[in-house]
Amino acid sequence: MIVPVNSRQLTATVRTSSVLSGDGAKRLVALAAVIVLAIAISPAASDGSRIFLDPGNLTDILRQVSIIGIISLAMTFVILTAGIDLSVGSILAFSTSLTAMALTRFWPGSSYATHLLLTVLLATAGSALAGTLNGAVIALLDIQPFIVTLASMIGLRGLTKWLTENANIDIGFGQDVAAEFASIFRQKTLVIGSYAVIALVFWVLLDRTVFGRHVRATGDNETAARYAGLPIRRVKAIVYTLSGLLAGYSGVLYTAENHQGNPNSGVGYELDAIAAVVIGGTRLSGGKGSIAGTIVGTLIMGILTNMLRLKNVDSNVEMMIKAIIIVLAVAIQKQRKAV
Amino acid sequence: MTDVLRAENISKRYGGVSALKNVNFAVRPGEVHGLMGENGAGKSTLIKILAGATKPDAGRILLNDQPASIHNPLDSQRLGIGIIYQELDLFPNLTVGENIVIRNLDFPERSIVNFRRIDSFCRPFLEQVGFAGSTRAITSSLPIGQLQLTALARALSMNARVILMDEPTSSLADDGAARLLELVRKLRATGISIVYVSHKMDEVFSVCDRATVLRDGETIAVAEIQSTTSDTLIRMMVGRDLEKRERSASSLTNKVLLSVRGLNTKKLREISFELHEGEVLGVAGLVGAGRSELGAALFGLDRLETGEIRIKGRKAELRSPAAAIAQGIGLLPEDRKLQGLMMQMSVLENSSLSVIGRMQSFGFINRQQERKAVEPIYQQLRLKSSLPSSSVSALSGGNQQKALLARWLMIDPDILFLDDPARGIDVGAKQDIYRIIATLAAAKKGLILVSSELPELLTCCDRILVLSEGRLAGNFTALEASQEAIMAAAISTQRSGTG
Repeated sequence: MIVPVNSRQLTATVRTSSVLSGDGAKRLVALAAVIVLAIAISPAASDGSRIFLDPGNLTDILRQVSIIGIISLAMTFVILTAGIDLSVGSILAFSTSLTAMALTRFWPGSSYATHLLLTVLLATAGSALAGTLNGAVIALLDIQPFIVTLASMIGLRGLTKWLTENANIDIGFGQDVAAEFASIFRQKTLVIGSYAVIALVFWVLLDRTVFGRHVRATGDNETAARYAGLPIRRVKAIVYTLSGLLAGYSGVLYTAENHQGNPNSGVGYELDAIAAVVIGGTRLSGGKGSIAGTIVGTLIMGILTNMLRLKNVDSNVEMMIKAIIIVLAVAIQKQRKAV
Repeated sequence: MTDVLRAENISKRYGGVSALKNVNFAVRPGEVHGLMGENGAGKSTLIKILAGATKPDAGRILLNDQPASIHNPLDSQRLGIGIIYQELDLFPNLTVGENIVIRNLDFPERSIVNFRRIDSFCRPFLEQVGFAGSTRAITSSLPIGQLQLTALARALSMNARVILMDEPTSSLADDGAARLLELVRKLRATGISIVYVSHKMDEVFSVCDRATVLRDGETIAVAEIQSTTSDTLIRMMVGRDLEKRERSASSLTNKVLLSVRGLNTKKLREISFELHEGEVLGVAGLVGAGRSELGAALFGLDRLETGEIRIKGRKAELRSPAAAIAQGIGLLPEDRKLQGLMMQMSVLENSSLSVIGRMQSFGFINRQQERKAVEPIYQQLRLKSSLPSSSVSALSGGNQQKALLARWLMIDPDILFLDDPARGIDVGAKQDIYRIIATLAAAKKGLILVSSELPELLTCCDRILVLSEGRLAGNFTALEASQEAIMAAAISTQRSGTG
């Protein structure tokens, strides 16, 4: 018996979690193309070498993409459930403010180690809680994620500004715990290392665990997931909690990097994270996508930014070029869908 | 006689798979022409090509002996070919009238919608198909039978001389199907030709003049219906002789597995019955009689207003599907794509989905264990072993249904509610599903089988409940029951409003 198959379905049959097959290969080619282009047009240093390839520059790129990169890892899970999290930028600002307030105002007299630990715990746990709240409202009241997280994007921004009286809280310019905090959490190795470790954990979580399977099934067909007896509400509550948690941790890194808690930080980060996820081939309709794809998407955006800045391209032009890249990247991956 | 529509040597490939190979197909004026074949035989592809929804790789199409070029649906509309898709292509949020005039070349569009003009344009065609409702009704608010009439009126309003109907009765209950067949005969009398795609033998024999049988993308035969038998047609469709349809030996015991007392939900009224170990209990009734709602009540989807459900004597608390599964009730839903399968996941992932929690250590899936666990079940279902890692969306309807049934065989509930499991799948897969039902009954499971096809119920079941308007209207042992008696019960309680 003949099974009617179209070319899209054929590609779907070879879909595995590996980066090297099918869609993954296409994305790696795209990444390679961007790298080659970046090398080709990179300005030369005084000794004739390509500035782009300078180890310092390469690690700078990784550090620069880490904050959005970390946020987009959990965003991948959210989008896989056919959801969206617009509140991550506001959660990041909330986290930077909590971090700076904790360093400058809370727990005076405690040892540096305790103080640092409590600070990071407070910021990440507070952010995760904000995420849980998103997830709980989405799961229990059955309201669209777009609306719920739009509301918390606005509400959390308001809460953060109210807590900080809309002022930046500068840290790390003296000989205190805050300075110690900044010097630890802005090290390249720690920032890049955090991104690498979290990426690995999320990759394994999605590809190897029961939870990951449930996430994909929920986004693929929520009705069917209910009929199959899957714990849909729990899955949703967890993905939004993870999203809050990672946005919160990114906020900690942001505070150290910028030496301040900033209630107005993180504006538009949700869109950068969503862009990275989408460029990485994850479908906004849910059910299909990968962490590997999101990492590639993040790197493509990061390298592009770096390349344009090395060429001193106007930042407004940079935004226009990025817009084109986003559409192109998604269009290329969509091609196989044509009848 | 000139053929009103003729397709010659049509070939079509999808990727590496040949869907149609040199297919010939001809329809005479004023005939009802059956198009038959198993799922995947190429019927839908051929229909889509004739309707201009897909282009063939080779071959030509002639209308009244004139070569026609069909590049898109508007071309076929211009040429007088109308189509009623199985999943109706109406706009759910528009009115009946708007659905008929939209993209209709015979209705000159203006910038502003004039409902009176629409109404007067549509009325004659709606009357022709016997649609009595308002043209201003929103489509999504109508029952499926009315939608079909709307689609048919739309085809007529486009001056269709040939109407392609893709399994038009698959979503209708027996009474609706009878009315549709009557309409088909009426249209034929006006000289319209109808291409009638169907799996159902009795329909083909009651309405068709000739039938073309496709198998594996090739034309196998064109038969005069009057001089053929259903066995001959089935043999041509499947290419082998079928196991004779006989009542399977009953495994019925007298141990009560499930007892339902005074069940009331939004749609059900005072339902009481018992299901025994090893029993196959059929549920008959018209569409809308509450057959699927009975499943919804037993599976924790609908809230019980009053009533009691006991499983093996213990009162069951069914608040969600997960709770129902935990207490030993399973449900194979009516719509496998909407309610059953994850279309972007693999066959294996779909089958193991509900039990994957048992194949893990510290949350990590043991993939080897997963693969081993499904193997015997796929063998039992005769699902090809090459399939597990392929995407479920690449499978035929029958194999998709098996992949979903595998999920339930892995959960292995004591009670399994099967909501029209053999609907719209090919003959071979149907036989496999009947065999599985018998095997499960022999293993002392209790099965509830909903079906729109009475012969299916009569061969598979020990007992048959008949629902009508949410009430229990009949309870037959299958040996005593006849199609006539069941139908009579199914339409009986129309009078209950006064009683």
